[in-house]
Amino acid sequence: MGAAGVATAATAVTPLAVSAAIAETQERTVPQAQAITGTMPVTLKVNGQSHSVQIDPRATLLDTLRETLHLTGTKKGCDHGQCGACTVHINGRRVNSCLTFAGMQQNVEITTIEGLGQPGHLHPMQEAFVEHDGFQCGYCTSGQIMSAVAMVKEPWGTLDSDVKEAMSGNICRCGAYPNIVAAVQAVRRMA
Amino acid sequence: MDQVTESKVIGVATPRIDGPLKVSGSAMYASDHHFPGLLYAWPVCATISNGTIAHLDTAGAEKMPGVVAVYHRENIGKLYRVPPSTGFTLILDEKRPPLEDDTIRYYGQYVAVAVAQTVEQARAAAESVKVTYNKEKPDTGEKLLGTPLTTDKPDEKSKRGDTAAALQAAKVKVDAVYRIPVETHNPIELHASVAVFDGKKYTLYETSQAVVNHRDVMAQMLGVPTEQVQVITRFLGSGFGGKLWPWPHGLLAAACARNLGRPVKLVVSRQMMFESVGHRPAIDQRIQLAADADGKLTAVQQDYVNHTSMLDDYNEGCGEITPFLYSTPNLLVTGGLVRRNVGNPTAMRGPGAVPGLFALESAMDELAIALKMDPVQLRLKNEPALDESLNIPFSSRHMKECLTVGSEKFGWAKRTPEIGSMKRDGLTLGWGMAACSWLAARIETEATVELLQDGSARVACGTQDIGGGTYTVMAQVVSHETGIPVNRVDVVLGDSSLPPGPISGGSWVTASMTPAVLAASQNAGKALVLAAIKSDGSPFKGKKPEDLELVDGTVRLKGQQQGAVPMAEILRIAKVNSVSGTGKSDSTFGAAKPKVSFHSYGAQFAEVTWQPEIARLRVSRVVTVIDAGRILNPRPARNQIEGAVVMGVGMALFEETMYDPRSGAPINNNLADYVVAVNADTPEIDVTFLDYPDYQLNALGARGVGEIGLAGIASAITNAVYHATGVRVRDLPVRIEDLLVPANRTTHLA
Repeated sequence: MGAAGVATAATAVTPLAVSAAIAETQERTVPQAQAITGTMPVTLKVNGQSHSVQIDPRATLLDTLRETLHLTGTKKGCDHGQCGACTVHINGRRVNSCLTFAGMQQNVEITTIEGLGQPGHLHPMQEAFVEHDGFQCGYCTSGQIMSAVAMVKEPWGTLDSDVKEAMSGNICRCGAYPNIVAAVQAVRRMA
Repeated sequence: MDQVTESKVIGVATPRIDGPLKVSGSAMYASDHHFPGLLYAWPVCATISNGTIAHLDTAGAEKMPGVVAVYHRENIGKLYRVPPSTGFTLILDEKRPPLEDDTIRYYGQYVAVAVAQTVEQARAAAESVKVTYNKEKPDTGEKLLGTPLTTDKPDEKSKRGDTAAALQAAKVKVDAVYRIPVETHNPIELHASVAVFDGKKYTLYETSQAVVNHRDVMAQMLGVPTEQVQVITRFLGSGFGGKLWPWPHGLLAAACARNLGRPVKLVVSRQMMFESVGHRPAIDQRIQLAADADGKLTAVQQDYVNHTSMLDDYNEGCGEITPFLYSTPNLLVTGGLVRRNVGNPTAMRGPGAVPGLFALESAMDELAIALKMDPVQLRLKNEPALDESLNIPFSSRHMKECLTVGSEKFGWAKRTPEIGSMKRDGLTLGWGMAACSWLAARIETEATVELLQDGSARVACGTQDIGGGTYTVMAQVVSHETGIPVNRVDVVLGDSSLPPGPISGGSWVTASMTPAVLAASQNAGKALVLAAIKSDGSPFKGKKPEDLELVDGTVRLKGQQQGAVPMAEILRIAKVNSVSGTGKSDSTFGAAKPKVSFHSYGAQFAEVTWQPEIARLRVSRVVTVIDAGRILNPRPARNQIEGAVVMGVGMALFEETMYDPRSGAPINNNLADYVVAVNADTPEIDVTFLDYPDYQLNALGARGVGEIGLAGIASAITNAVYHATGVRVRDLPVRIEDLLVPANRTTHLA
């Protein structure tokens, strides 16, 4: 499903990407092969594609993206809206996907990191994060980038300190903050 | 060994080759793995920290929708302990397998695990398991020094001269106790395990900083041969030491997969991560320094005590750096452990050195003040000529240059020593500094390099990239040796089935891995030369190996640019897909009688701003100068040091896990109440690498940069806080209430 982009985009990237993507393709099978008791049908529009799936009514948008749609680029870091790793866009605004039920988001446009850009055709913010080394382990990075893309459209000032404030809902325990600020500012200057 | 001095790729700032995967959500971390028929496990955690299980009722939970099983002591099946081992194998901190008995020794200890079709169902079932306890009074006491040790008396860790006599006779003395609270690693990636069992073999997708050790431990504990376990950590959302060794959740996931014959995913919650996956222990340290009137140290004594769990002994090793950092004829370091009802502590970034240097470098600042001496001068004055703890030379030590370069970059000469005497824009400034050090070592490593007919190279090593840039550095080393561009090197790591590689700990991956990869590249080159001289149709057929050389990805006659043939062309002529070479690196770590003292060094300078009117303290600027051998890739290396400084700001000002003394629960068990530094807390950071190769450690002269950046930062900041406010904070973190006391008062009296 949504993960198809991962495997197909691999042609344009480094051999590392190829080996990783090929190795994982077989695991990313079509989800929900069997009916699960107590689930309900929902239709979610993610990255421009409509997905009709059965989910647990208690499922957060985060867990639905990851466990049902297998869009695992969105990460879980706290499940409490405290770390920002799960940031996605709902109708273009940044939202902690762990703090909303999937069932409540059926008539909106959801964008995840996979929908922003893939190796070979990265979004300028993704390019900037590579160029400025705006990460170490990479785990919070999807959330940082989704937050940053939304932040650029928000009414903030032009200073580094504005970026630092606007990006403080996204924790990077590796502490790549100076490079994150550099990446975001590079994109803001291009805009 | 041949020293590598010139290179087109080594030392060149190179973008991470895994960057495009990480910025696009395509990098596969442990919990991203999914398999048909996957089930979800959710542990049931004890809600007491001392006592026994009186009754455990799973009947209601088992009947809930989607629930497949609820396991507890009686039905989880056999799990074994690892045998005692000497050497660097079979390591784990919490040695008791989960659910082994009904005794509860820490809050959050697993007592059962629910397995269901969705994660929501598993969690609901786990929360419906009814457990009653025979509760006893827990001990999570914060005071450590002076409370009963696990041994009759503290261990002597290092000793020379007569410290007691020297302290007695001293002209100038410092005697103070410094305290580090429990700190929790809190990598943003939750610990997780996806366990697949095919009836014989376990494939375990783990959050592991050490896949080979993880495999060995899991095989032992599951009771199967090593070859029936494979551990995979292709990408790790960092760990900071917390993911070095296996934790009980991994055993639960594997046991569930075994029992059910279906893949099982278990993701540890953030709350559980404060309980059952390790922490830096609480530590008390008494430091006594003695000096003569002109600042020459005459005695150093460090007595530390750290807490550990009820069953296992974790020693923080706070005396790691003390014995060789300064010259002193008399020195004594002792260490002891006390038991508390807490989960097992474990190594956290810079174990031993980071807390040890907080105490030692705070005491050095206090000594400089007592001597009315500049703190940089005090350290320069006590620079040793050799490692006095072992009477061996340093491999490559440039501490003095760290101090002088740092002073210059920071503008230290403009510092006025009087408390609160420096102002800027209406703010009071505080300037403080500290020296730092961290070990350097190689550990045993094997690597394989293949040269392929398509012109690419493949390098394989069973190590991990936890964010330090190992993928990229490995490609750089292969590229350096073979001339194949970095973007044509396929790096394969994070899999226990690969040639055994180093744990991602100790800051030693780069030093250990690079010599093995370099040797493997050279041996692959030899295999290629053999193909060139033996294969029909090769222009070099019949030549001797010594007639040929490999330059820029080509094979040619020595010194002759003309007639050079691309490596890939040789393989096509020979009709082989690839040639390969293996390489090994031996260990320097834990050598019985080392001949050379391997360490990295650095100097940290911090500026704080202080607004007494509103009690607002900020870290505004940090200058750090690092002597960590040759820096192979300055981009991720700089990022490491900057990130460590950020973590140091958290250590100094925010981080502390607090236990409720009634229940033993870590009460601030989330990222809102356990505060780590965020983007807005980041100071201006200036990083300088001295870049002196340490050729005694390896041919590339590389040491490592993962941990040293955090060493010394907390004390540089608290020393700056003293300079700004007159308050000596010896009990981390610095709290606002500490700074509300009148100037020249201390918050923690020895």
